Amino acid sequence: MNINRVINYKSFEIGKSLLAFNLRRNGRRVFTPHQYRSIKTHARSLAYAKDLFLGQLNKVTTAEVFPYPEIGNEELEELNQFVAPVEKFFNEDVDSKKIDEDAKIPAETLDGLKELGLFGMQVPEEYGGLGLSNTMYARLGEITALDGSIAVTLAAHQAIGLKGILIAGTEAQKEKYLPKLASGEHVAAFCLTEPGSGSDAASIQTRATLSDDGKHYLLNGSKMWISNGGFADIMTVFAKTEVVGPDGVKKDKMTAFIVERAFGGITSGLPEDKLGIRGSNTCEVAYDNVPVPLENVIGEVGGGFKVAMNILNSGRFSMGSSGAGMMKKLIEMTAEYASTRKQFNKRLSEFGMIQEKFALMAMNAFVMESMAYLTAGMMDRPEVPDCSLEAAIVKVFSSEGSWICVSEALQILGGLGFTKNYAYERYLRDCRILLIFEGTNEILRMYIALTGMQYAGKILTGKIKEMKKGNVVLALAMMGQKLRGSFGGTMDFGLTGKDGPVHPSLEDSAKKLEQNVYNFGSVVESVLYRYGKTIVDEQLVLKRVADVIINMYAMTAVLSRASRSICIGLRNHDHEVLLANTFCTEVYFKNNYMMAQLQKHAPENNDANIKKIAEQVLEKRAYICSHPLDRTF
Amino acid sequence: MVHQVLRRFHGSAARPESRPPPPPPPGDLRERKPDRWVVARGDDPFERAARRDAKTKAAFASAVDAFAEGDKRRRGHVEFIYAALRRMAEFGVERDLAVYNRLLDVFPKEAFVPRNYVQRMFNHYPRQQECAVQILEQMETHGLLPNVETKVLLVQTFGEKSHPLRKYQRMMYWFPKFKHVNPFPVPRQLPQDPVDLARLSLARIANDLDAKVTVYQMPYTDVTETGEEISFPHIVGSQSPDQRELLARHDPSRPVFVEGPFPLWLRTTCVYYYVLRADPLPPGEKVEEPYDPERSLYYPLQLSLDLDRDMGDLGDDFSVDDVDEGPVFAMCMTGRGDQATLNQWISGLQETNAVLGRVPTLFRLDAGPRELQGGPAAAAAQGEPPHPHPEAEPWVPGGGEEEPAGPPRQEADVTLEEEPPPPPPQSSERPPGRRVNNG
Repeated sequence: MNINRVINYKSFEIGKSLLAFNLRRNGRRVFTPHQYRSIKTHARSLAYAKDLFLGQLNKVTTAEVFPYPEIGNEELEELNQFVAPVEKFFNEDVDSKKIDEDAKIPAETLDGLKELGLFGMQVPEEYGGLGLSNTMYARLGEITALDGSIAVTLAAHQAIGLKGILIAGTEAQKEKYLPKLASGEHVAAFCLTEPGSGSDAASIQTRATLSDDGKHYLLNGSKMWISNGGFADIMTVFAKTEVVGPDGVKKDKMTAFIVERAFGGITSGLPEDKLGIRGSNTCEVAYDNVPVPLENVIGEVGGGFKVAMNILNSGRFSMGSSGAGMMKKLIEMTAEYASTRKQFNKRLSEFGMIQEKFALMAMNAFVMESMAYLTAGMMDRPEVPDCSLEAAIVKVFSSEGSWICVSEALQILGGLGFTKNYAYERYLRDCRILLIFEGTNEILRMYIALTGMQYAGKILTGKIKEMKKGNVVLALAMMGQKLRGSFGGTMDFGLTGKDGPVHPSLEDSAKKLEQNVYNFGSVVESVLYRYGKTIVDEQLVLKRVADVIINMYAMTAVLSRASRSICIGLRNHDHEVLLANTFCTEVYFKNNYMMAQLQKHAPENNDANIKKIAEQVLEKRAYICSHPLDRTF
Repeated sequence: MVHQVLRRFHGSAARPESRPPPPPPPGDLRERKPDRWVVARGDDPFERAARRDAKTKAAFASAVDAFAEGDKRRRGHVEFIYAALRRMAEFGVERDLAVYNRLLDVFPKEAFVPRNYVQRMFNHYPRQQECAVQILEQMETHGLLPNVETKVLLVQTFGEKSHPLRKYQRMMYWFPKFKHVNPFPVPRQLPQDPVDLARLSLARIANDLDAKVTVYQMPYTDVTETGEEISFPHIVGSQSPDQRELLARHDPSRPVFVEGPFPLWLRTTCVYYYVLRADPLPPGEKVEEPYDPERSLYYPLQLSLDLDRDMGDLGDDFSVDDVDEGPVFAMCMTGRGDQATLNQWISGLQETNAVLGRVPTLFRLDAGPRELQGGPAAAAAQGEPPHPHPEAEPWVPGGGEEEPAGPPRQEADVTLEEEPPPPPPQSSERPPGRRVNNG
């Protein structure tokens, strides 16, 4: 099969490899803080995660993730200069308990954040921002995550709120708005969601109509769940506008606008009373004939969909580091407790089940961190690579990892964790939103799996059609392949060995990854063979596909990071190796199980039953079993 | 035989045949013959009890008690039980477990229990056993589950391995299993109010939790200036949001149809409903909504792949809900199925479905079932109790003491021995009377 692929896609590979090697070399040298980005026209697509869908790891794609990206000494120093005061501020001046109770971030705290420049972390220096690269931004995200409310307020402001201006705005727009936004004098918000429209852009009701004099648009409609909506001065608003298509037919298309509160006609509803991140402001925003000048259109008229998608895709990667930051703090807090509390003359830390929880938290923090900085590093490479798939993977893994770990941390404290005297319950509440916003994990799993399927499908279509026609040679080759796989034949993609990028102490784990990747290739092939383009409707299959790819990317990240740590002799690198090996072993078996399920048909892997249960419950919209105490005679 | 018949007619003031017999238990072929028991005794305790008080459970019980206590030897108890079974519906106790148990108690205890293996081997006291089975059979017909008391009585009367006990065991095995076998149970007591009944029926047909039932008009009567009474029928309609959406998307150049009436049976009641529907689009005119790549903000809704689903994974795609037979936009039930009334429904619908103002609406109403609405079934649908029969009316209240309309009775003497034709189902209320008239 491999030979086949090489033959089929030889030319493609060669072209790509030349390109990639060049970039790689450049990338190492030119590692400047992030410059402003223009809207992507020809993003060089990084293909590591996508290529996993083909079941292959070749030199070109592995070069994207091995060795682990690093930043130069100057950057590191510069970064540490930022980090120290921010850390100090969060430790001393932020009263998270009060923010949570009052459901409001005090003005002094906000001013402090502004002074530290945290409102313009990714705004280029020429516009008065800090001009941080993605990596540095992720690093600061670790600290801001210590207070969920502040983290979300900041993220709504710059990860999505002003991102539109940053990536798609004109020079004039940037000059006009970015300086004030970077200083925090103005706060930004991202207004996309509507009562009737979450992920479905077609159902957006807010409209922008050209005024009679043709000088501005009139904006009407309402948006809901807008973070910072209560006080944002500048909003990126998405609305439907009438656009004449190339065929002369008028169509409604989405357009992005920069809307100032000062334009008038904007009213904000009462802040929502939320479960977590209570200090952040979330409310409804209504627009009543808001005049928006023509020059405030972001990108093209009718091009709002692309703008929205780019903003959403670029905002996600930092969640990994935020989660890791929170985890690290939690480990410190709970370890303190577990080591002092005694029961039966033993410390809690001596009990196996408590130890397991710490191992889990450490492992999760390690994986999240590895994935986050690997992805951030990839994004920082020149030529604006498209890392949206990787970013989504990071978001899903870290949000779920954080949720599980916070819950375990709370468990270690037992009843104390459940009280408001400790911060655990607040972390638990704050953390819950991670699974929901920036695209729910379910939707992102669809995105992850379908993006890969589309990529693999394009390449495999020819082969699958050939097989369906009954090409005997191909079928026999497949059979042989399957047989070899089932007899425990291993696959060598060259991760280990003399020239391999993985350190020998991680060899077993690397082999496991290779094995997983290889099996995954044939799983994807069989899934495509079976479902073709109707795979979009097989959500349970896609979920498993996404889970496997998430795990494999996580394995890659820890292997890459631990290898680097050994090689350059970082402190406690043996611990990293331990974590990496443990994680890989654990995940390897999970992957095998999921892939075994994927190879099976619906009745065997329980999917049919699961669907049926749900259908029966939903038909009655209730739990339909009789009460166990009911009788018929 | 003739003598007995004569005695019955001339000796008894109760005249049992003047009263409509209750619906016979299914399978019981004897129901058309006069009760042998009544014939033998020349007296009907049920009649007597009913005369004392109304036809209630207490009256029935007192009749049974009277029999049980009146004769120590309980002579003719089998005949009595058969007679009692037949009268139960009349007294409204056909679904009363206690009454059945009371009837079983009429059997003398221990007399019919086989005492040796020969008796056990053969059918011991077959008539009595059969009678007890008949009681259980009637309980079964009415969906009544016996209880432990029933079992104790049967064991006391017939012993552990008798036929009635076997019957009891089978019932106890199957009844609980089948109790909830119907996923769409009809309530035993249907609402009396026609509007409530229509609500229930429409909800039953639609089987959609979103469907909203609207009462467009409550039934009322009005007196015009000329003193004429005009009654306005009820109009109750049902429409779900999905249906409304379908209707909103309907091409106004294609007509919609009001069709009906269609029957819906609820136990023994038949009601009629009307639908608003359109023809399915001809295959050529179906417009698939084009795929909009700028629709989903997060993930592609379609893949651009030239690969279809594999044959092995096609699955069983046939769905009864997905048959191409044209959309149904709304349903209604009304007390009067004429075009004027239905038009009122359509104009009521128009308030929430503006498109109806532009769509040509055709009425395709069948005349046939509307005639049926005058019949007893429709009368029941209108909320009147099914039993009172206009012709039976004058005979009941007097209790039969005085003798109305003599001549037909005398003719009855002659024709009685003829096997009468099976009574038509709708007029089964009074077959004897009709028989008499025919003769």
